[in-house]
Amino acid sequence: MSDRTASPPTLGFLTVQQEPAGWAGYFLVTNAWGRPLEFRMSSAVQPNRVQTALYGPTLLDYLHADVIGKALVEKTALKPDLIVTDTPPALALRSRVDVPVVALRPDAAVLPAETRTLTHPRSSLALLLPAAFATDEPEVLARLDAVDPSVDLAEPFARIREAVTEARKLGVSGRVA
Amino acid sequence: MSRDDQPVVEELRESLVEQPADAGRSPGADVSVDVLPFPRFDRPLDASVREARLLTDSPWVRSVGQLTLSVTTEGWKFPAPPPEYTPPPRLPSEPAVGRHAVALPTLPDDPNAPPKARIRPKPTADTVLFKDRLLLLLQPPLDGLFDGRSLSVPFEPFPYQLEGIAFLMPRHAALLADEMGLGKTAQAILALRLLFHQGQIRQALLICPKPLMHNWGRELKMWAPDLPFETFEGDADQRRTTWLVSNCPLKLINYETLTRDADLAADPRVYFDAVVLDEAQRIKNRESKTAQTVCSIRRGRSWAISGTPIENSHEDLVNLFAFIDPSRIPPDCPPKHLPRYTADCILRRTKDLVQSDMPPKIYRDLEVDLTPAQRQAYSLAEEEGVIHLNELGETISVQHVFQLVMRLKQICNFDPLTGESAKLEQLVTDMEEVAASGRKAIVFSQWVEPLEILAKALEPFGPLQYHGRIPQGERTPILDRFKADADKHVLLMSYGTGSVGLNLQFTNYVFLFDRWWNPAIEDQAINRSHRIGQRHPVTVTRFTGLDTIEQRIATLLDAKRKVFLDLMAAADKPTTMGLTEDEIFGLFDLKARPKRGAA
Repeated sequence: MSDRTASPPTLGFLTVQQEPAGWAGYFLVTNAWGRPLEFRMSSAVQPNRVQTALYGPTLLDYLHADVIGKALVEKTALKPDLIVTDTPPALALRSRVDVPVVALRPDAAVLPAETRTLTHPRSSLALLLPAAFATDEPEVLARLDAVDPSVDLAEPFARIREAVTEARKLGVSGRVA
Repeated sequence: MSRDDQPVVEELRESLVEQPADAGRSPGADVSVDVLPFPRFDRPLDASVREARLLTDSPWVRSVGQLTLSVTTEGWKFPAPPPEYTPPPRLPSEPAVGRHAVALPTLPDDPNAPPKARIRPKPTADTVLFKDRLLLLLQPPLDGLFDGRSLSVPFEPFPYQLEGIAFLMPRHAALLADEMGLGKTAQAILALRLLFHQGQIRQALLICPKPLMHNWGRELKMWAPDLPFETFEGDADQRRTTWLVSNCPLKLINYETLTRDADLAADPRVYFDAVVLDEAQRIKNRESKTAQTVCSIRRGRSWAISGTPIENSHEDLVNLFAFIDPSRIPPDCPPKHLPRYTADCILRRTKDLVQSDMPPKIYRDLEVDLTPAQRQAYSLAEEEGVIHLNELGETISVQHVFQLVMRLKQICNFDPLTGESAKLEQLVTDMEEVAASGRKAIVFSQWVEPLEILAKALEPFGPLQYHGRIPQGERTPILDRFKADADKHVLLMSYGTGSVGLNLQFTNYVFLFDRWWNPAIEDQAINRSHRIGQRHPVTVTRFTGLDTIEQRIATLLDAKRKVFLDLMAAADKPTTMGLTEDEIFGLFDLKARPKRGAA
């Protein structure tokens, strides 16, 4: 992995939502000040019963990481230095891309398995790191240190939700197919 | 049986005849065997693929389709902020920036604190492209940008100022018409600064009145220290270079220089992503060269800033829109329909609306009784003046009436023979109180001469003068001295020079020694003191001579003051603010009237 910790990092914010048409992903890339550089959305995907049965408990990880997350990250022109997601199943994306991935810790009392918790002033919520990639921690913390102090990692997801609402209103999300 | 099969049959027969006895027969038995052709071998064996396919065909097996899932994606790239506007973020341990320290909250926020309202630019109805709407929706909230951590600012803007910035940023046509003193300059500068940072604009032009050039320069350094700017100075060749060659992102010019460089301003090679007009009421006359020059500049965004966009009639607003968005108001639009077309482009807030915690502005109308000498001079002048006007008959004009009004107002200030002044006596008394409390005051007059007389009379209070006779280069040092020197308690200003753009919020008393014709100008003058940053109540003393022309004008103007507010509030109201011709003639008991069509 290249050492890009010295310069202000580019951040990727990934969210996957269940919509009437299926699971859809949204990926916002910002600079270290939180200003938008690129935005990408995926088409909705709905697993059928066979796929649900075959993938079993791994279906969510597969959908979030392999199907949606990986496609969005690979298609995005700008490569982020750190990916933040608000959906813990997308942490599995870490094994598919060469970028550290952290998740905002959900409110739920039960934490996702095989994760480590860390905190940083740039996030109003605790962060989860895949246990299998615990060695990412120093790099993640170093990159967050270089993020502008006004940025809160939880905030851009509110912007994404507004953008999604706008996309639905204008029928843009339906045309991604 | 075919001929080709014959050798096979013969071979079979021979093999059967040569069979050993123990191969299927009882020993000793003599059995002859006839060999018959075996019909099953009449045809060559042929593998049937149909049987092999049986297991994969319906209904035994159904296809489950593709087991893997896939998605398609669509994306949008936004303009990258130029590198010069993206300094490396500061370390969290670094102190707050700006001229004044800002108490920084620590993240995570106090869970008991009420959630802060997030303020963001929103797409307007004119923002058609989804990409443009996305760019606005995905911007970080403004309230996080100016808390002293991200951008260097002297102090965190007030929430209503953030809303003003959020109003300006997405708009290509905008009129920021906040009441004086609410920080329109800072809002415009910060909106431009953010657009530069986002890479949405690369060249902008600021146009302001000449006396405010220094003020704008100071405000730019304060609110956008990372934004280089350049003023149009020097001879024609130097200015030509600034127009056509300079790559400086932000340029500052005054109306007078702009009008002089009208040809260059209209040059097709000149283009600005944003043009901002300060004190935009300067172009209220659409036919003026200033207005035409301003409108000739090729531009992407047209922003106007004015606390008094309507000084006289609704036409002022219509003419402003000739710059802001020429196609927005249909020709011959009735005044009552103006708000329908312009409302989306205008933002106006008053101090009462946005700053409930701002110190109050206390009006004190002092109706002074003229001294005997003044009264005598006044009565004589009015009597003779009215006689003279009536003698003019049909040749009378508004100008004739004005001459008399001016003469009488001057007598209300000072007796022309003795120099006595009831207003001055009261002012000296008040100034003693102002000075004793260690505070400062501004005195406004329509004329320079009374200010010079006042300067002598107020000598104990360290008077400073700021008016048209003070050379341009000396004006700013005068203001600096007034602010810094504790012994300088009073600044004498003319309405024309001191009523716009100056920040004198360190003063707490405003005296209007005589009244201006237009209430909007008076308001501007008062708001030099009563503006953002003022921490104490501001007392405004309005002098009028009892039973004089001043009292009659004041009554009329008070009634007119409401019109401005009503029109800005989208009401259907009369369209003139200044005194009408009939009202001017009505100031005196005149029988003479101008011949209609001839005046």
